[in-house]
Amino acid sequence: MLPVLVLTLRVAALATLGVAVPAVAFGYLLARRRFPGHRVLSALVGLPLVLPPTAVGFLLLRLLASKGPLGRETLGFDIGVLLTWKAAVLAAAVMSLPLVARTARVAFEAVDPRLEAMGRTLGYGPVETFRRITLPLAARGLAAGVLLGFTRALGEFGATVIVAGNIPGRTRTLASAIFSAQQAGASGRADALIAVALVTGFLAILVAELLSDRQGGGR
Amino acid sequence: MKNLHVDLELPLDRFTLRTEFVATASVTGLFGPSGAGKTSVLETIVGLRPEASGRIAFDDEVWFDSKRSLRVRTEDRGIGYVPQDSLLFPHWDVRANLLAGSRRSIEAGVDPAPVLAGVIDALELTSLLERSVTTLSGGERRRVAIGRALGSAPRMLLLDEPLASLDLPLRRRLLPMLRRVCTELTVPMLLVSHEPLEIQALCDEVVALDRGRTLAQGPPATVLTDPRVFPLAESSGLANVLAGRVIDTVGDIGRIAVGGAGGGGLEIVASPVAAAAGADVLIELPVNQILIAVERPNGLSARNLWPAVVRTIEPRGALALVTAEPTGGGEPLIVELTEATPAELDLAPGRAIHLVFKATSCRVYGGRDPEPDG
Repeated sequence: MLPVLVLTLRVAALATLGVAVPAVAFGYLLARRRFPGHRVLSALVGLPLVLPPTAVGFLLLRLLASKGPLGRETLGFDIGVLLTWKAAVLAAAVMSLPLVARTARVAFEAVDPRLEAMGRTLGYGPVETFRRITLPLAARGLAAGVLLGFTRALGEFGATVIVAGNIPGRTRTLASAIFSAQQAGASGRADALIAVALVTGFLAILVAELLSDRQGGGR
Repeated sequence: MKNLHVDLELPLDRFTLRTEFVATASVTGLFGPSGAGKTSVLETIVGLRPEASGRIAFDDEVWFDSKRSLRVRTEDRGIGYVPQDSLLFPHWDVRANLLAGSRRSIEAGVDPAPVLAGVIDALELTSLLERSVTTLSGGERRRVAIGRALGSAPRMLLLDEPLASLDLPLRRRLLPMLRRVCTELTVPMLLVSHEPLEIQALCDEVVALDRGRTLAQGPPATVLTDPRVFPLAESSGLANVLAGRVIDTVGDIGRIAVGGAGGGGLEIVASPVAAAAGADVLIELPVNQILIAVERPNGLSARNLWPAVVRTIEPRGALALVTAEPTGGGEPLIVELTEATPAELDLAPGRAIHLVFKATSCRVYGGRDPEPDG
């Protein structure tokens, strides 16, 4: 039980770490810049949210399969991701990207652009304006988004099981462990796993709620 | 004093703003009714309206020239901007807001510490320094915003309606502070207002704007009484604004010497006066609150009776504006009459008259705090 929980938390944490910066960047881009293809990018970023997770998993599999763009035959070496915990991290990251990006976009949109303009009048360049004004004002919303991404990564199953499999001790996370327990008819074990999932998920979403409640309180 | 050259065209919702003026005075006013495009002019000068075309130059330094596709970035123009809604940074306390522009100040070779100390003193911000800006009142926010702009060592200060939406007691406090800031600083200012009082009390020169067009430019008294500009002021009313010093007070009633050092001893009795003896104050005397008597009246309840000489009489629609110079010295006063009155009284330039106004018609700004801010 404990190794499953540890692996799950590790996969979710790494996926969140990996996805945070690109997702926040996407969120900022979508909130603050207007460019050709804005809507297309917005739709693409949101796609994993509406596709069946298994479809996303299958696309990732195609990408990483030996003849795929990132496969052994194309690159000339094996990046060694498929059917390892790294694949689970990748799947969880891709699945939580839209959630983090969307929350980040909303957080950036909630920052009054005229406050950024005031920063400019006080001599701040674009980078300093972002660092001193935009980022701190969006911080709570961004933190809530990252936490939301973490909870999504905790429960990721469909895409994970396709690219990482369900190998006990290696790629078996909480979600796949529950699936296996149910398939094996071990309902007691399934109940215990679900209890663990309930507690971790509840705690994470509670913190996210607390963070988003306070966002904008200072405006 | 450096000159700001503005020649702009900017498409707005209801009209295209086209204005051209040169701000040469230490405090230049931009006067016009709401919706005249005043704020848009300020935003374009700051560099926040990319859709504008034209040319903006600060002396020989061109900030914007659409013909040459030249646009100096907002952060490189060195303008202190105080928008109408203050726009303080909500994640910082008052002190941090005031320090927001100190790096630019240092880069400009100005030590921000003494500047800020002076600003904190002039705007009475000492007790607010540790406060979160979200707990400030409207007047306090305005003061911090002005202080923040001044703390960045601006080469020019733009103020958008600094007293708008503040109630009378607050204006009584803030107006003298602004006047102090205006006179003590060598930073040229451009001040937007739809209130004649602000323009008269603070500006050396004024540009009148309506529906995106420049109507007139010149000294406040001349521009505000201009036939095209005068009707724009009518909603808030035109007033004479006099600087004076309190001689003494008895209860709420105060005697105030006006007309400056060489004013020749003109005295106004005003009520209420919150300032103590010796305090410098501003007196607002609405043009429609002054009576003209062709002979010296007797047994009158009004406390102020000034002999004067008519200088000009100008019709303004259904009204007439009479300019009269007090024989005791000082600035001429403007009196508003109905159109037919000057003829009925046989008024003509050069005729000796008496100006009559009540103590309670005078609004006195300045002195000690009449009410806590907030």
